[in-house]
Amino acid sequence: MTGKTARLIFWLGTLSSAAIFLWMTYDFHAQTPKLTHTDKLTEEVVAGKKVWHKYNCNDCHTILGFGAYYAPDMTKAFYRLGANNISSIVLHPEVMYRNSFRKMPQMGVTEPEVKQLVAFLQWVGEIENRHWPPQDEKFVEAYKLRESQPQKLEKVHIVMGACGGCHSFEHQGRNVGGDFAIIANRITYDRETLIRYMLDPASVRPGSAMPPQSLSRQTAEVIADFILNLKTGKEVRQ
Amino acid sequence: MIRYESQRVSLWYMRLALVLFILQVIMGLWLSINYAFTLPQELVDVFPFSTARAIHTNVLVAWMLLGFMGGTYFILPMECNRELYSTKIAYLQLVIFASAAVTAVVGFLFGWTRGKPLLEIPFPLNALIVVAALLFIANVAMTIIQAKEKSALQWMLLGGVTFLALMYLFGMPFYRNLNTDYYYWWWVIHLWVEGAWEIVTASIMAFIIMEVTGVERKVVEKWLYVETGLFLFTGIVGTGHHYYWIGAPDYWLWWGGIFSALEPLPIVLMVVDTWMHVRERKNEIINPLTWYYIVGLAIYHLVGAGLWGFMHTLPPVNYYTHGSQVTVSHGHLAFFGAYALLNLTIFYFALPRMKNIRRYQDRLGKWGFWTTSIAMFTLGLVFGVAGVLQTYLERFLDIGYSTAHLTMMLWFRIAFGVGLIFLLGVVITVWHLLTLKPVQEGASE
Repeated sequence: MTGKTARLIFWLGTLSSAAIFLWMTYDFHAQTPKLTHTDKLTEEVVAGKKVWHKYNCNDCHTILGFGAYYAPDMTKAFYRLGANNISSIVLHPEVMYRNSFRKMPQMGVTEPEVKQLVAFLQWVGEIENRHWPPQDEKFVEAYKLRESQPQKLEKVHIVMGACGGCHSFEHQGRNVGGDFAIIANRITYDRETLIRYMLDPASVRPGSAMPPQSLSRQTAEVIADFILNLKTGKEVRQ
Repeated sequence: MIRYESQRVSLWYMRLALVLFILQVIMGLWLSINYAFTLPQELVDVFPFSTARAIHTNVLVAWMLLGFMGGTYFILPMECNRELYSTKIAYLQLVIFASAAVTAVVGFLFGWTRGKPLLEIPFPLNALIVVAALLFIANVAMTIIQAKEKSALQWMLLGGVTFLALMYLFGMPFYRNLNTDYYYWWWVIHLWVEGAWEIVTASIMAFIIMEVTGVERKVVEKWLYVETGLFLFTGIVGTGHHYYWIGAPDYWLWWGGIFSALEPLPIVLMVVDTWMHVRERKNEIINPLTWYYIVGLAIYHLVGAGLWGFMHTLPPVNYYTHGSQVTVSHGHLAFFGAYALLNLTIFYFALPRMKNIRRYQDRLGKWGFWTTSIAMFTLGLVFGVAGVLQTYLERFLDIGYSTAHLTMMLWFRIAFGVGLIFLLGVVITVWHLLTLKPVQEGASE
């Protein structure tokens, strides 16, 4: 090979690759509005992205799979956890991870910031990214089912999807708010009170640590039936 | 034995780089303690993992760049047959760069961050870095322009560092859209490590190999053209292997996947040409350890960056391994194999010359070489096992992040132990480099 051929290889390789890359970059920008739903990219979402940066979340959590691997991926966190759980975790990590082997720092995030963060994560969750990460796809599907046709879901999935961030049941969920089997046998509420309690805990029991849940009436009914059935279920077993 | 007085400016670049290397590894150990043990909430609140990780990665980038800049300043006068354009600019640039780096690390401790992995440093400090980079490029360019004899190697080196600085700019703006943010984040990270840094590596290594082996310039420069051409051909479109899951068009799977699968090719060439040049050397081997590093770099580069990268970036594999400890494994092996070893090779080439030592005592250095190399390889394997385990538990068995990580705990603890050995090796190497002693000629033979 002569020096001239070598130089030719250099320029040909570099320029052809750069040309392809720049063209695809152009196309990337053309397709991004569709793939990331930029029509939903509101100022609140952008504010949430700034919160995400401000507290350096990305140096423990991955998002779109990038960042540090010390804590779970946040791409589909909105579906996995829901708005309420994200708020509880970010505002009170020391409580939520009291029994965990790995801790999340209390960073003093404010409530308005959490709202923005949730808006950001909801928008991120909707990015069309070929169903990555694989392990969270079930939460995405469950969320969509829960929204559209709750009657088709198994009760336990509804309950754990909506409440599993704080309550546990048969080794599922995170036990900081108590296990449903125990709660069911402790509470004396009737069905209507229990539904009211879920939607606005403080109206039934002032000072309750549980935050109000943003559930549809229909979903709340399913959950109430589930919990109340556990009570009789236990008596039958005995 | 330096030929030009201005080569001495690189000494402080190299010393600072070595100190930062140790700091980086200490931070790495602290991170592995975070993984392997449960820390009290009070401690996590004041010094979270995220802060330590920002320091670990930023110090890495800082000592890499210091090594490249120092290395460039050391070889450039020899390559251009003249003094550097200005040693004052070189020192000024070092002071600006170092103070920005120190301020950044202290700032992280107080939460002063942009919160963007690896590119955390806030805007005012970024501006300082840009100033330092401009000074550096101007200094290199002026030295080359004023050289009597021009060579391909000079231009390649200048092109590499300019490309490097240019790409950094894409990480600086605030992007409203997360997917666009990460699109350009990779213009910095990927086009650095699989583009600009490779060109700098290829150029510096071409020079060192030429100098040490005495192989003809014509041959070395031919290889340099072909290798850098292939690096850029595969590496630029290969950026696509980061765009599979960010919400980019479908064709990235093909373009990214195929070009990235070709990325090991230029590294294979590098191994071949290093091996050939070493075999066909015209000079005798004076310092075996320097040659260890030259050959070690080529092979480690191929394994860590080439092989690991190849396996991890095939789209069907990456769907499962992306964002897991497999990435950690690849990251450590690739950065150590390609760039930490490059810097150490430069230091072993430059520091003895700076001290006027022809043949240095290398017993301690050999211990350092083998300890760091073997410990890092083991660490890569341990992270790899943890990563495959994580992928299997989390993404096939579907058992959840926390349970998977509890199951991986054994491997995190092993990683901590191996990390301790690695730190020992690094301390030995750094100590050896900073206290090089000549062999009493005649006494040893």
